[in-house]
Amino acid sequence: MPREVELSNNERDFILGALRQGLRLDGRGQDVYRELEISFGEEYGVVDVRLGKTRIVARISCEVVAPYPDRKFDGVFVISTEFSPMASPAFEVGRQNQDEIILSRILEKAIRRSSALDTESLCIIAGSKCFSLRADIHVLDHDGNLIDTACAGLVTALQHFKRPDVEVQGEKVTIFTAREREPVPLSMLHHPLCVTFSYYDGGQIALLDATFAEEQVREGEIIVTMNRNGEVCQIAKYGGVAVDALAILSWTNMALVKVQAMTKVIQARLKEDAERRDKDGIAAELRADNDRPSERPHG
Amino acid sequence: MPLDTSSYSLALLRLDGRRWNELRRIHAQISTQAAVDGSSYLEMGNTKIICTVTGPAEGRRVGGGGSGGEATIQVEISVAGFSGVDRKKSGRGDRRIFELSYTIEQAVQTTLHTQNYSGSTISINLHVLTQDGSLLAALINAATLALIDAGVPMSDYLCACTAGSTTNTASSKGAPRPQAALPGLSSLDEEADDPLLDLNGLEEQELPFLTVGTLGASEKVVVCIMETRVQATRLEEMLAVGVDGCKRVRSIMDSVVRDHGKRMVDEG
Repeated sequence: MPREVELSNNERDFILGALRQGLRLDGRGQDVYRELEISFGEEYGVVDVRLGKTRIVARISCEVVAPYPDRKFDGVFVISTEFSPMASPAFEVGRQNQDEIILSRILEKAIRRSSALDTESLCIIAGSKCFSLRADIHVLDHDGNLIDTACAGLVTALQHFKRPDVEVQGEKVTIFTAREREPVPLSMLHHPLCVTFSYYDGGQIALLDATFAEEQVREGEIIVTMNRNGEVCQIAKYGGVAVDALAILSWTNMALVKVQAMTKVIQARLKEDAERRDKDGIAAELRADNDRPSERPHG
Repeated sequence: MPLDTSSYSLALLRLDGRRWNELRRIHAQISTQAAVDGSSYLEMGNTKIICTVTGPAEGRRVGGGGSGGEATIQVEISVAGFSGVDRKKSGRGDRRIFELSYTIEQAVQTTLHTQNYSGSTISINLHVLTQDGSLLAALINAATLALIDAGVPMSDYLCACTAGSTTNTASSKGAPRPQAALPGLSSLDEEADDPLLDLNGLEEQELPFLTVGTLGASEKVVVCIMETRVQATRLEEMLAVGVDGCKRVRSIMDSVVRDHGKRMVDEG
């Protein structure tokens, strides 16, 4: 089983020593995120998110299936994660590593259990047909803070994705291609985002958006998922060194500020992309004259 | 004759007749199994757990370790098929179970003095006999007791319990307030939110709750897991109630250990 290269003791001491002086290796403040870069693919629902060197691609796809017999009115929504070996030598194809299971559990709790996606809107005919939505998260590069990046990517992709429009007439279902009818966006109830705090010295120092090296020397982490309305969707502190209960509360307050800032970035990028796709607006779409050079040579 | 619970909501009592800050009955025994190094049996209400601890002993996997001079901790949880309301066969690769065992492993790692046992393995086996809410909390408490029985040095008891939050339906049902219809005054209702301690299975399905595990009687939180959506403002009281509950759990667990010690001395 290949393993991650461990940090040497000197590197450990250096990082910790610098942190105690309030310094980080890349010169950021303790509560500053790396820049969140989001780019979209040609298709709806393909999102490439980078946070510093960490990079993930999220892709949403959908098909029509029969719903689960015990959930007749709900569509199907599956989140699948894949850690590619190109992200880190510790990742293997086909074998699930511990971090991967935790990541998928956190995404599951943050997005599925908090019902961010309205799965009932994916139902076409109760009990016989529904959309099955599949979100694939591919980790392409790993430089710390995978969970926040993956969650941001997934939430952005869900907002970006559009499913084909359907029409139901009795038992007959027509699914329209993108040419026939404009695809419809998914109905999201809220947009949760994860914020991971890595702490050192028993909670005295808390870092946001830790890089991989910082993650390796941390004493513990706490993952808070919130939406911009101030609802906490999920908190996970799996062991690690004990911290004060008050610290957890102040961290959730800090998380809210970060979530609001991140939501703004995501919305701005989504809007930009929507404008890029819709070049001339509805007026161009509806005009009567066809695209042909107006100054055609006569004769 | 079934219990008459019709007056419970008027008296602000919960489904099982407890007040908001009451724990369920905790019954625990240690040294229940003779064949292992440490064992415990714990009931928190109707949630029943048996835990066995083997080690610190030489690990089965040799060579793959090199965990930096610390003992490795293995946690295995088996949930009995008959433990829940509906009989369910939980697969081996159940992520929820994996998450539970991962949590216990991580939590115990910092509490035990693992650096004293480099190269050895401590394996914790947990068996869930009945589930009725607060599963993670019961698992943590059972593991702590078994580890104490095994004599593994640890800094303090790791004790856990759950805390929930409820919109006070009893008062709004009893006297429907007309002003509650106005959106501006809905904050009045917010203040009627009551925290609850130690949720049972039914309450867990309905209400937002968190599991908190603290180190002994200190207010230091080792484990904090919440899986349901809740307003951030309600978090504070939930945590406070949870931490307070942990203190009480600790004193109960402490008395179990002391009673057991006394009995051992008496019996020679």
